Amino acid sequence: MNRKVAVIGVGNSKFGKRDDVTIRELAWEAVKEALEDAGLTQKDINITVIGSTAYRGTEIYPAPPVSEYCGFVGKSPIRVEAACATGSSAAFTAINLIASGLADIVMAIGVDKMTEVDTATSLAIGGRGGNYYWEFQLYGTTFPTYYALYATRHMAVFGTTEEDMALASVKAHKYASLNEKAHFRNRITVEDVLKSRVISWPIKLLDSSPISDGSAAVIFASEEKVKELKIDTPIWVKGIGYSSDTSYIAARGEWIGLEAARDAAVKAYKMAKVSPMDIEYATVHDCFSIAEIMAYEDLGFVDKGKGAELLREGQTEKDGRVAVNLFGGLKAKGHPLGATGLSMIYEITKQLREEAGPVQHSFKRYLALTHNVGGTGHYAYVMIFNR
Amino acid sequence: MDGIPLLFKYTVPDKLYEKFWEGLKKGEIYASRCKKCGSLYFPPQRDCNKCMSSDMEWVKLKEEGELMTFSIVKQKPQGFESFPDYTVAIVRNLDGVNLMCWVKGEPKVGKKVKLTTDGQRLICEVIE
Ligand SMILES: [Zn+2]
Repeated sequence: MNRKVAVIGVGNSKFGKRDDVTIRELAWEAVKEALEDAGLTQKDINITVIGSTAYRGTEIYPAPPVSEYCGFVGKSPIRVEAACATGSSAAFTAINLIASGLADIVMAIGVDKMTEVDTATSLAIGGRGGNYYWEFQLYGTTFPTYYALYATRHMAVFGTTEEDMALASVKAHKYASLNEKAHFRNRITVEDVLKSRVISWPIKLLDSSPISDGSAAVIFASEEKVKELKIDTPIWVKGIGYSSDTSYIAARGEWIGLEAARDAAVKAYKMAKVSPMDIEYATVHDCFSIAEIMAYEDLGFVDKGKGAELLREGQTEKDGRVAVNLFGGLKAKGHPLGATGLSMIYEITKQLREEAGPVQHSFKRYLALTHNVGGTGHYAYVMIFNR
Repeated sequence: MDGIPLLFKYTVPDKLYEKFWEGLKKGEIYASRCKKCGSLYFPPQRDCNKCMSSDMEWVKLKEEGELMTFSIVKQKPQGFESFPDYTVAIVRNLDGVNLMCWVKGEPKVGKKVKLTTDGQRLICEVIE
């Protein structure tokens, strides 16, 4: 990057079924919090980048109404989309605007109102999250089906079990019970997961993240602005990795991990000049329980096939070797597609500033990472931050 | 209150990969191959992105394969509500091509399968 970039303000709405608001008021909750967090007003922001998938809401062009409501008219020239990694694509764009010198202070806003359509419609939209012509139209694939294909293969190749996968959901709900912004606050057991309704075997209801409404916002600034504004705890962007994979899932050749995520991680580590073993805290894309296990492997925290072991040993708990998703994950905090990647940066920022309250992890080097996957590995972003 | 429903109606090109759709009716599976560089495409492509040629031919794929992975769809999406539970699989055939299909028989990773069609989509029959 030509210029250093830091996070100087973060905001996050309450996630859940938010039928009390439209997408505009929902976005404002995160925008207001981020502006107050940074001690700025709208006039200080050069550009806003709005990330939203939007297909499940009434506002299918959400950027103008959101921008108007939040006081950014004239400052929202772009909306971005990268399926479930939309939030990270907004961050990626915002960071680049600053690194290139085009702007000094940029807000990335991620928002999605996903519960405005019924579940059958939502599944049909998700099923198009691959290759419409060659997958959905012919085989009626749903989004859970795609991840289930990975789960079945991972189980057959490495002996990963449904109980192992259930542990990821149990951990997510445990931490979400401590997070007032989470969609679900209830704790669950392995047995609850195993007994829950099968959606697309081996994926069951409690292996799956919910359909959520929510927003998150992150303000990025150049090093000069960080000094000028006297920001006391800037969180620096150390490395960014990105990649993508085939739309037709069968074409990938193997289904035990996400190649795009592996590639993105290698790029991010290289840029940040750190190794997987240096990472102390990570937010990973656990849209389904198998995804958390594959993420440990794809990020290099363990060798391929050993993800379940790391989970079983409790090494990804608070104060473990590498704490993962202490905010409750996508599984229990919720997964409003446009917001998720920025919500991860929100959580990383709170952790690195040591403002995470009951889920505060203990850091030595203050190195953390976000892992955000779009589609079933169609897009991947890995970003590394430090204090 | 109810929002105004948005009904999408689509038209998709049916002549573009006609040979594939005709094959489905006869239990045959076709991929496309670049005549210039030999690259094989499934899903079929009209254009070769490796050598930039658009001079393609149709190739019939071998029916023997191995079941790589599968999932049983219990909660169906809009458009498939009336189907009984169906099993989606990925099969690797003897040409080394990986294909999505529905499964007939008891699925298990590593099982040998025979690729065919039901007239509308690819099917793999598990060989006991
Ligand atoms: Zn060619």
